Amino acid sequence: MSNQPNTATGCPFTGELPSDPAELAALMSTVPATHATDAPPAPGIEAPVADWVTIEDLVRDPFPIYRRMREEAPVHWVPAVNRYMVTSYAACHEIEQDEATYSADERNSLMKRSMGHSMLRKDNPKHQVDRDAYGATLRPGTIKKHWNAIFEANNERYLGELLAKGPGSDFVWDYAAPYTGENLRMVMGFKNATQQDLQRWSQTLIDGTGNYADDPEVWATAAASSDEVDTAVDEMLSHYVGNPDHSLLSGLASMPIPLEAIRANIKMTIGGGLNEPRDVLATTVWALLNNPEQLAAVKAEPRLHSVAFEESVRWVAPIGMYPRETTRDTVLGGVALPKGARLGVVLGAANRDPDVFEDPEAFNIFRPKKAHLGFGGGVHFCAGTWIARAQVAQVAMPSVFEKLPHLRLDPSSETTDAGWVFRGMTRMPVLWG
Amino acid sequence: MPTVTFVQSTGESIEVAVAEGTSLMRAAVTNGIDGIVGECGGQAMCATCHVFVRPEYAGALPPVSDDEDEMLDCTTSERTEASRLGCQVKVSAELPSIVVDVPADQV
Ligand code: FES
Repeated sequence: MSNQPNTATGCPFTGELPSDPAELAALMSTVPATHATDAPPAPGIEAPVADWVTIEDLVRDPFPIYRRMREEAPVHWVPAVNRYMVTSYAACHEIEQDEATYSADERNSLMKRSMGHSMLRKDNPKHQVDRDAYGATLRPGTIKKHWNAIFEANNERYLGELLAKGPGSDFVWDYAAPYTGENLRMVMGFKNATQQDLQRWSQTLIDGTGNYADDPEVWATAAASSDEVDTAVDEMLSHYVGNPDHSLLSGLASMPIPLEAIRANIKMTIGGGLNEPRDVLATTVWALLNNPEQLAAVKAEPRLHSVAFEESVRWVAPIGMYPRETTRDTVLGGVALPKGARLGVVLGAANRDPDVFEDPEAFNIFRPKKAHLGFGGGVHFCAGTWIARAQVAQVAMPSVFEKLPHLRLDPSSETTDAGWVFRGMTRMPVLWG
Repeated sequence: MPTVTFVQSTGESIEVAVAEGTSLMRAAVTNGIDGIVGECGGQAMCATCHVFVRPEYAGALPPVSDDEDEMLDCTTSERTEASRLGCQVKVSAELPSIVVDVPADQV
């Protein structure tokens, strides 16, 4: 293993990166992101209607759609998804910084229906109460002390299983998914479930959250998973009362948080904690395998794993869109929005805005570093950011390229990526001999 | 009104006046100061509000909390004795003015 040791000081993830700033500076320069903060004069134009957008096209490949929309206006009314879609970096950033105007607590929320009312759909001060209840479990110090060693052991195991399965097996389903599933199971403290349960719960609950097509079967499956999670959560909360450990459920067992909130927050965490690291891991490896010169650079300089990880999150944000609702009449990016307007903050589009990122459609680890919006921003900034960085960039990626130096995509088999609310690799057969 | 002076690595210095109780991160973000991102909105979770506090002001600051301490280990520009998270330092009657250096790299 070429991983950095768990030393007593330093960040479990990025602390090692700038140890030789001159060396890194030679590889990349840092330019601050630009964003327009001046509100345009009221009343703003009416939002253009993007009636040419279909959900099927978005699922297959949203990026040409985003490009066309961004070129036309930063905000559109999109009948197919029944909301305004916000596609420019500046407008998405403005929303993130203004929770008074752009509420996370939207009406008729698909996520609330699928997972319950979690912190992700609450505004402050309510959001903060729930978020604080998560305590130190997901923070760098705890990752360093407790989780990194567990991630390394899980990685050994599941990379071993991929190898045992032989060439032609699927990088996503035979490795990335069980690896991140088992990590999540342990971080959350689900002693009464398997990583396969976590995968099933995550996918079915997320399918509900992204059920813009309102498919009744999707709702039924999500409801069944929701019931299973409730039972598992209740059981573990009682267990941890007398047997505390470092897991999330253990911490929550001693908190004065209503059970309904705990259940909803746990479901949200199952969704966000599995698919996102799984998808970033597969997308980053896929991007590197498709860009041999960048892969060679990463292999020669292990500190670039974290740079590749961040570029991958920018390039294909695993959470491509999240909702907000306006609390008053407002003007965003020159477009008038009425009070109660339902918005989709399209991070997948903002992160490819040419006003901020040069040649934005390209995966390029050598681009000047700028703040991307892949982890969201403001008070809802992803609480699992450091866990994802640790398990993917610090543990999995270095190990994958060290143990499988000839890793490549299987040319005899198809590779597919899909999704827009959530996006990642859905099929990725690999060879390594 | 308390004032915060941000000094960029280029030497350029910008003074902004803000209400008592405002964090350095919020002061920077609302005034469009380059080099302070404040991704996490002040939760001590992102380390993109890193600043170096000039020594003459350091004594008036509250101590670094455990959460802030571990996040300061994750800054992009290397941590020094003067490093603080801008979101964890607020201007007040006791600290009516402060001068901080903005790191060269923030993300
Ligand atoms: S704003 Fe994120 S750590 Fe200060």
